[in-house]
Amino acid sequence: MSMPVSPEKQSTLSTVDILSQGMVINVGPQHPSTHGVLRLILTLDGEQILHCEPVIGYLHRGLEKMMERRPYRHNVPFTDRLDYLAALSNNLGICQCIERLGGVEVPERAQYIRVLLMELQRIASHLVFLGTFGTDLGATTMFLYAFRERELVLDLLEECTGARLTYNWIRVGGVPDDLPEGFGEKVLGFVKTFRQRLEEYDQLLTRNRIFRSRTQGIGILPKELALAYGTSGPVIRASGMAYDVRKAAPYEVYDRVEFDVPVHEQGDVWARYLVRMEEMRQSIRIIEQVLRDIPDGPVQTKLPKVFKPPAGIAYSRIESPRGELSFMMVSDGSPNPLRVHIRAPSFVNLSVLPSLLEGTKVADLVAILGSIDVVLGEIDR
Amino acid sequence: MRTRQPATEQYNPLAVFIEGLSTLFYGMLVTWRNFWRPKVTVRYPYQRKPMPPRYRGLFYLKWNEEKQRLNCVGCTLCAQACPTDVISMVKLGKGTNAGVSEFTMDLGRCLFCNLCVEACPFDAIYMGPAYELASERRDAALFRIADLAQGGEEAVRTNIETVQRLMAEEEKARPAAGGHAG
Amino acid sequence: MIEVVVQFFRDYPLLWTFVKAVVLASFTLLIPLAVIWVERKVAGFIQSRLGPLHVGPQGTFQTVADALKLLLKEDIVPSGADKRFFYIAPYIAFISTVLSFMVLPFAPGWVALEMNVAVLFVIGVSLFNVVSILMAGWSSNNKYSLLGGLRAVAQLLSYEIPMVLSVLAVVFYTGSLSLTGIVEYQVKHGWLIWQPPIMIAALIYFICALAEINRTPFDLPEAESELVSGFNTEYSGMRFAFFFASEFANNFFITAFAAALFFGGWDGPILPPIVWTFLKVFVMIFVFMWVRWTPPRLRIDQILRFAWQFLVPVSLVNLLFAIVLGVR
Ligand code: SF4
Ligand code: SF4
Repeated sequence: MSMPVSPEKQSTLSTVDILSQGMVINVGPQHPSTHGVLRLILTLDGEQILHCEPVIGYLHRGLEKMMERRPYRHNVPFTDRLDYLAALSNNLGICQCIERLGGVEVPERAQYIRVLLMELQRIASHLVFLGTFGTDLGATTMFLYAFRERELVLDLLEECTGARLTYNWIRVGGVPDDLPEGFGEKVLGFVKTFRQRLEEYDQLLTRNRIFRSRTQGIGILPKELALAYGTSGPVIRASGMAYDVRKAAPYEVYDRVEFDVPVHEQGDVWARYLVRMEEMRQSIRIIEQVLRDIPDGPVQTKLPKVFKPPAGIAYSRIESPRGELSFMMVSDGSPNPLRVHIRAPSFVNLSVLPSLLEGTKVADLVAILGSIDVVLGEIDR
Repeated sequence: MRTRQPATEQYNPLAVFIEGLSTLFYGMLVTWRNFWRPKVTVRYPYQRKPMPPRYRGLFYLKWNEEKQRLNCVGCTLCAQACPTDVISMVKLGKGTNAGVSEFTMDLGRCLFCNLCVEACPFDAIYMGPAYELASERRDAALFRIADLAQGGEEAVRTNIETVQRLMAEEEKARPAAGGHAG
Repeated sequence: MIEVVVQFFRDYPLLWTFVKAVVLASFTLLIPLAVIWVERKVAGFIQSRLGPLHVGPQGTFQTVADALKLLLKEDIVPSGADKRFFYIAPYIAFISTVLSFMVLPFAPGWVALEMNVAVLFVIGVSLFNVVSILMAGWSSNNKYSLLGGLRAVAQLLSYEIPMVLSVLAVVFYTGSLSLTGIVEYQVKHGWLIWQPPIMIAALIYFICALAEINRTPFDLPEAESELVSGFNTEYSGMRFAFFFASEFANNFFITAFAAALFFGGWDGPILPPIVWTFLKVFVMIFVFMWVRWTPPRLRIDQILRFAWQFLVPVSLVNLLFAIVLGVR
């Protein structure tokens, strides 16, 4: 590379030594494995990543501002569009916040239904993670298997809520309607198949030596760093922190069901994967308990037509499939909120990405990004 | 702090190879089993899955066979419940027997959120199982009353006639009740 | 009648060569259509889908339709591309595949060019493929293509060595460099796959073959999720079709080559030899696809480490055994 260059020519060349410069490569916003419209500006040295700069905002819709312009309950459907893989979690988040603001009680049956839907939603969301993570690493078949089973969950949710993706099936003060006839049996039937399918996933992917060598020891997130960035959900649980909002600050009837919080110490991609796989098993456990314990009764509290909570501030947090999702609303006593803020777990979790990526290989980029499992609808809001 | 590579604990190529090969075969058993399983593909335009009764598709305004009219009384509660101003209507007459002569939904803005259906106190508006709403034309998202009413054009005409008749009957009955104008 | 035709071509050998070349080239163009259809069906069935269905019975003509579509598409050349290399790279890939088909015996006497160093010839021309990938990656003026191209070259060269070594084991065992000779040896002495050193050689050959035709776990050069599409990212239309065709023709070739080396080529009872060749090839292709749709892919350093730390030494030792056992 060191060809002699004449002095005249040299002056016209850039003074930067091109050998010491990295190659800048632009991943996204349209790229098969950035899971949405995330853009990463990578500086590479060969296959090694020197620097990563995420660029977000391609999906910004100004949801928080939109919410300030509308009455409280009109805002619930908008949250479907945040984390579109777990719309019900978002619905629950905002409804809880409004309920706290207005001091609304939720009937017990509605609380059980909420937990049931939440866990179905968690399974559906983690299955998307499993599938996309599989394709990111090259196991395309895993993608279709995971989506096949997700389809079963979506069929269940469709039967209960009437929609497949943007459910909007949590209301302030309960849920809009009771579970349909025979829903419990169908869920149990699904749970039975799904148990076997989980074994198959393990056989196909988890045990696979190639998969393990692609994930173990990659993208290690130490506990301190995870805490410092404020990550939550499976990301922090894979770094050895047993933090789950369902346990830390139980909402609905999570304090009445038994489940474990899977924790792994390694903090690598493999641990994050295992945590999610284990969470699906725990979700099954919760679902079975809920179906066993669910009481009869009303599912919705009647609210006045124009809902005006007293002036004040409310904060709610729930464990969405991606981590701690919280809503904060400020009320001035008028029908519209004064200010809404959404703490999106993906946004916070994504912020660790640059420090995880430095020094890794390009091929590990997709593994690490996939293991954080971000949804851009939530990041850009 | 950032360990990248696994600190290769005694990389034994042969052991790794054997493990890799055996787990590969182990995984291939799964793909083999799935090869023979029934397929889940629904050949969509030729086959359709039945929609569950709660499915939230295209709206319809309920036709009341007994009263020969649409249930809707034009109270605009649904329009008020809608977060995105999808619904607009023209009320026909007034009082308990009122109806609508126009009911327009701009579904291009609709979230299919079900709030309007829940808001309606007269069981007048529902979401049905039709889901093929995509179109190449923008104005195809605009659904007028004849597109929404159960029974279409015919129903709308009968609806208007019925409501007008009811209004006229009320009008006739009113002077007897005390001649209150307005 | 046939004698007349044969006699006619005997009289004009140049014309005969020309005919053979045309037949071979069209075979190389047509066989991918079949292989791709099989691939789609197998992939579909493995993944709980049905695969192509609508064009022709069971979607048999879907690939034909796709090929026509590709031929009709606009031919886009990225600005800043090195035009000459960009233009010829797909054709080099294709020609290298046609050349390797030239020496492949389908049945007794069914070989376009009887060559007594056929094995060496195949190894030689298959390297053109590497060149074409490097050319495509470099000339596209796209960083993804470049990375894909470089990865491909590193991978293909690394796996070429154990592959050649395992093929050499066969050569030493049979004492012949001619593919027809190797097959005839097997017709006489039984399939080579049952000989222990050759068994290992066959295993290594299969692993390397997976790498050579870019199949998962070694499909790095076109790792879709990271590099968009690798070296052929910028290709579209006909040029892309040629890359694609040569890849799948290569798939066919590499299994046919394996059939000739390890599984007795056209040897088999009852059915005519040509049927046996195709049967073996398609069974192997099925196995390749089955493998392809199961595991995730390796990382480039893992792939290279595997080749150099494991496959090369093992195949060297194995070659030694083959030489010792093969001498008679
Ligand atoms: S479904 Fe929602 S957005 Fe659509 S018209 Fe009804 S209230 Fe409005
Ligand atoms: S549909 Fe129902 S809510 Fe809407 S105007 Fe008619 S009666 Fe009122």
